[in-house]
Amino acid sequence: MNKKTVFVISLAVNIILAFVLMFAVSGAIDELQFNFVEEDTIGPDSLRMYLDMENYGVAATLSHPIRGGAEIEEEYMDYYMLGEYADLLFLKEIFAEAGNTDMLTDCEKRLEEIRSAMPDYGSLFDKIDISAKNALPE
Amino acid sequence: MKCVSCGGEIGLTDKICPHCGRTITETAGHQRDLKKYKDKNEAAKRETTKAIKGNLPIVISAVVMVVLLIAIGIAFYVEENAYSFRSDAKRKESVKKYDEYSAEIEKYLKAGDYTGFVAFKEYHNIAEWEAPYDDLKLLWEMAKYYNGLVSKVEEAVMFGPEARRYRPEEDVDNCQGAIYRFYHEYEYKQSDIEADPYSIYIHDMKEKADIILKVYLGMDDEAREAYLASSEIEQEAYLEEVLINE
Repeated sequence: MNKKTVFVISLAVNIILAFVLMFAVSGAIDELQFNFVEEDTIGPDSLRMYLDMENYGVAATLSHPIRGGAEIEEEYMDYYMLGEYADLLFLKEIFAEAGNTDMLTDCEKRLEEIRSAMPDYGSLFDKIDISAKNALPE
Repeated sequence: MKCVSCGGEIGLTDKICPHCGRTITETAGHQRDLKKYKDKNEAAKRETTKAIKGNLPIVISAVVMVVLLIAIGIAFYVEENAYSFRSDAKRKESVKKYDEYSAEIEKYLKAGDYTGFVAFKEYHNIAEWEAPYDDLKLLWEMAKYYNGLVSKVEEAVMFGPEARRYRPEEDVDNCQGAIYRFYHEYEYKQSDIEADPYSIYIHDMKEKADIILKVYLGMDDEAREAYLASSEIEQEAYLEEVLINE
C-alpha cells in the first residue's frame, strides 16, 4: 500500500468522522437545550390529546408548569393556556370556599385574560366551563 | 593539540597557528574528515526533510483523525449526560438567585397557591435538601403530597360533556391513594410540622385539602373524618359512588 492510498483512505475516514461529529454535536446541543416542559412533563402532545378527549382535569394538571413560570414555546402556548384555564377554574372554587379573596380575584382576572387572548377557542372554553360546573357534586 | 613550531595551543579546525602564524598542516586529514561528515550530515538532513515532507499529508490526516475521534467522544459524552448537566446548571442558578427565588416562593406561599409553588420549584430545580433552601424540606414534601391530591381529584372530576374516559376505576384508585398519602403524612409528621418554620402553610394546605374534599367529593368535616377512618375498600366504594356514580 503506497503513501497515496494510505492518505486517500485516511481522508475518506476523516470525512465520515466529520459527518459523525456533526450529528453528535447537533444531538448534544439538542439535548442541552431540551425544553423543560417537554422533558419533565408528558409534553404538549399529551396536553393536546387530553384536550381533544375532553379530559380537562388531566389537561389542567399537565399545564401546571406554566403557573411555575416555565418558558413555553409559542407553538404550544395555546394548549398550556387552555390547561391553565381549566386549572384556574378548579382552584377558583377552593379559593372561594377558603375565603381567599385576593387569589379569587387574581384567578378571575387571569381567566378573563385567557379567554380574551384566545377568541377562537370560545366553544372549547364553554366546554371547560361546563366541566368545571359538573365537577361540583349536586 | 600543540603547535610544533611555538608549542601554543591550537584547535583541530585551525588552519593557522593563532600564536606564531605558522600554516598548520597536521590537521589537514582531520579537516577532510570533518568536511565529509558535514556533507553526510547535510545529506541525511535533506533525506529526513524529504521523508517528512512526503509523509506530511498522512501525518496531518492522522492528527485530524485523532482530533475528530476525541471530539466525537466528547460530543457523545455530553449528549449522554446532558440531563445532569442541565439539572446541575439550573440548581446552581437557583442557588445564585436565592434572593429572587425566595421572594417568588414567598409570593406563592402567601397566596396559598401551593400547586404553583410546586411547579415553580420543579421548573427551577431548587434543591430543598441542601443549603440555602434546606429549610423548605418539609414544606416541599407536604406540598408534593398536596399537589398529588389536587391533581388526582382534578383529573377525576373535570370532564367535558362528550369526554372519552377509558379507565374511570383508575381515577378512583389514584384519588384514593393521593388523599390517603396527604392525610397520612400530615398526621404522621405532626410533631415535625409543628416545629417547622413553614408550619402555617402546611396547616393551610390541610385546610385547602379539606375544602377540596368538601367541594369536589361532597365530604363535610364529619364525612371526611369517617372516610379517613374507613378501610381502603370502603374509601374506594365511596369515591366510586361520587366519581362514577356506581
